[in-house]
Amino acid sequence: MLTIKLSAAAVCSSSSTHFPNSHSRLRFNKRIPFLSNPSLFNPLRSIAECSSFSAKKNSAKTMDYSASSRIVAAAEQLKDPDQLIDSVETFIFDCDGVIWKGDKLIDGVPETLDMLRSKGKRLVFVTNNSTKSRKQYGKKFETLGLNVSEEEIFASSFAAAAYLKSIEFPKDKKVYVVGEEGILKELDLAGFQYIGGPEDGDKKIELKPGFLMEHDEDVGAVVVGFDRYFNYYKIQYATLCIRENPGCLFIATNRDAVTHLTDAQEWAGGGSMVGAVRGSTQREPHVVGKPSTFMMDYLAKEFNISKSQICMVGDRLDTDILFGQNGGCKTLLVLSGVTSLPMLQSPDNTIQPDFYTNKISDFLSLKAAAV
Amino acid sequence: MATQISQSTLKEKSQLLTPLNTQNLLDSVDAFLFDCDGVIWKGDSLIDGVSDTLDFLRSMGKKLVFVTNNSTKSRRQYAKKFHSVGISVSEDEIFSSSFAAAMYLKVNKFPKEKKVSLLEENVSLSSKLHTLNEEAMAAKPQVYVIGEEGILEELELAGFTPLGGPVGAVVVGLDQYINFYKLQYGTLCIRENPGCLFIATNRDAVGNLTDLQEWPGAGCMVGAICGTTQKDPIVVGKPSTFLMDFLLEKFNIPTSKMCMVGDRLDTDILFGQNSGCRTLLVFSGVTKESDLQDPSNQIHPEYMTTTLSDILHLANNKF
Repeated sequence: MLTIKLSAAAVCSSSSTHFPNSHSRLRFNKRIPFLSNPSLFNPLRSIAECSSFSAKKNSAKTMDYSASSRIVAAAEQLKDPDQLIDSVETFIFDCDGVIWKGDKLIDGVPETLDMLRSKGKRLVFVTNNSTKSRKQYGKKFETLGLNVSEEEIFASSFAAAAYLKSIEFPKDKKVYVVGEEGILKELDLAGFQYIGGPEDGDKKIELKPGFLMEHDEDVGAVVVGFDRYFNYYKIQYATLCIRENPGCLFIATNRDAVTHLTDAQEWAGGGSMVGAVRGSTQREPHVVGKPSTFMMDYLAKEFNISKSQICMVGDRLDTDILFGQNGGCKTLLVLSGVTSLPMLQSPDNTIQPDFYTNKISDFLSLKAAAV
Repeated sequence: MATQISQSTLKEKSQLLTPLNTQNLLDSVDAFLFDCDGVIWKGDSLIDGVSDTLDFLRSMGKKLVFVTNNSTKSRRQYAKKFHSVGISVSEDEIFSSSFAAAMYLKVNKFPKEKKVSLLEENVSLSSKLHTLNEEAMAAKPQVYVIGEEGILEELELAGFTPLGGPVGAVVVGLDQYINFYKLQYGTLCIRENPGCLFIATNRDAVGNLTDLQEWPGAGCMVGAICGTTQKDPIVVGKPSTFLMDFLLEKFNIPTSKMCMVGDRLDTDILFGQNSGCRTLLVFSGVTKESDLQDPSNQIHPEYMTTTLSDILHLANNKF
């Protein structure tokens, strides 16, 4: 996991890239900073101070999200990219931490993708980031100078709509969305009625006598994804629908713990919004994004490809690599995103990809070195 | 208002309160522990007959204690709420999860704050940085709170003020003002500050925060942080028995002579059972008879009844 070690000086010169759409003025309050428009910074920390307060008091244990705990062969460092490339027809790439970080392209990506295309490989992009629609992602790729079409992109926002389509969700029922634009756009394209989304971020409630929050009884599904406008109103609305509308579905685009919204640091991911609704409904969601194989099954069918002919390339073990393994594909972990080599090699880690390498442009540089 | 409870609920596990077993209970129990939301009140509305019932129990010499997972108020603020609905309760009879969080830190010797001078508006930026950096390095860990006034007040009373210093503990409770900033801040602290504690006041899914409907509880905010940190919190409120130690110290009564009265199986009743108390479930809050009877339910209180005032009526044999 990449972190920024901030000195006080860096903190004060925080730029607006730390938090999209916010002002960057730092404020120190006498109270806990419940600021609505803050610039975010790592709380100043002194390692010595913190660890002197016995770490053994922290009984927090890491929850194991891995699919199995069987002993598996350790991942091999990628040495011969050609062999891997020749053995598959299709490459599925995660986006955040593999292709880009925030809005910055990772080094060597365009050349690598071009090389793979020139070898006749099919390229597909599967991202758990539900904030954009496929169309919006297509634009993002274009802005970064990459030649990728909408049809090659599968975001979890699209997955939510595709899932509802696959179960023939009735068009006269509504979907309540705890999430951003991307989900709304995809639902719209698929012909589903929705309510909620970013505008509910402005809604406030007052817990006072006689106040009753109403909810639409026609909501037949609640879709929860990453939502930076998350608030108590939305949680209650989603909770009321799930608990009180008979048969109401609880769908999660993904459950990523943290996500690279900006290149500088990690941000609380969809896992938090889903965790919140899970907490109040005590129901498990149906997850459509990685590591669920829904998108894998969908694109295998769409492009008529066999899963053994696919290599999944991602930066996250419990979503990307697990997704690839669950789907029966080859898997390649890149260390250009949230996972570091120590994390991969940690005894607590039970998910071992087939291969690992620093970044995807190693396909080119390792080849060059071998020549 | 009293609903008929079907005779089929008289199974091997939970007994419906009757005049006979109510008398037995009153004879064998010295202290009654009450949950608040759904037992004493719903939102700000007192449930019928509660006031008379509490008076009756006091007149019988029973100790009354109130154990609530609702962390939005401090003990002092709860005492005020009781007063506002016409019930006389002293602060030290109240054990809220806000109090529990502060006590957990105290008992585990979380370092108390050394005051750090705060930045004022007109001091130059560079001297501000210098002061902050120096003093922050020397300051003891602070507590970050995702929650409301109750937690903040209890922390202050216990000597933990949120000033300066690196964050050494994140306390998460019910927070109707929850937003992405707080989720992110709490997440960063837990993930990146070595040894940072993740403390939850409680994990109740929903509660009767107003008289007309249920609202998401702390289980929601805690669920969100579990989602981003992939860690389990230290829970200080029910069903954890942490607060029981304070009750025992205060009253010096064995738990077998205490009866926990609550409306929720997985917090109130479990707390009572885990501590070795008698348990009484009331159906005036979040749990319905069907929830108790559901095959997936593993928690069976000793007794059950419609509402708290049944104790009074049964004792006077009015049924």
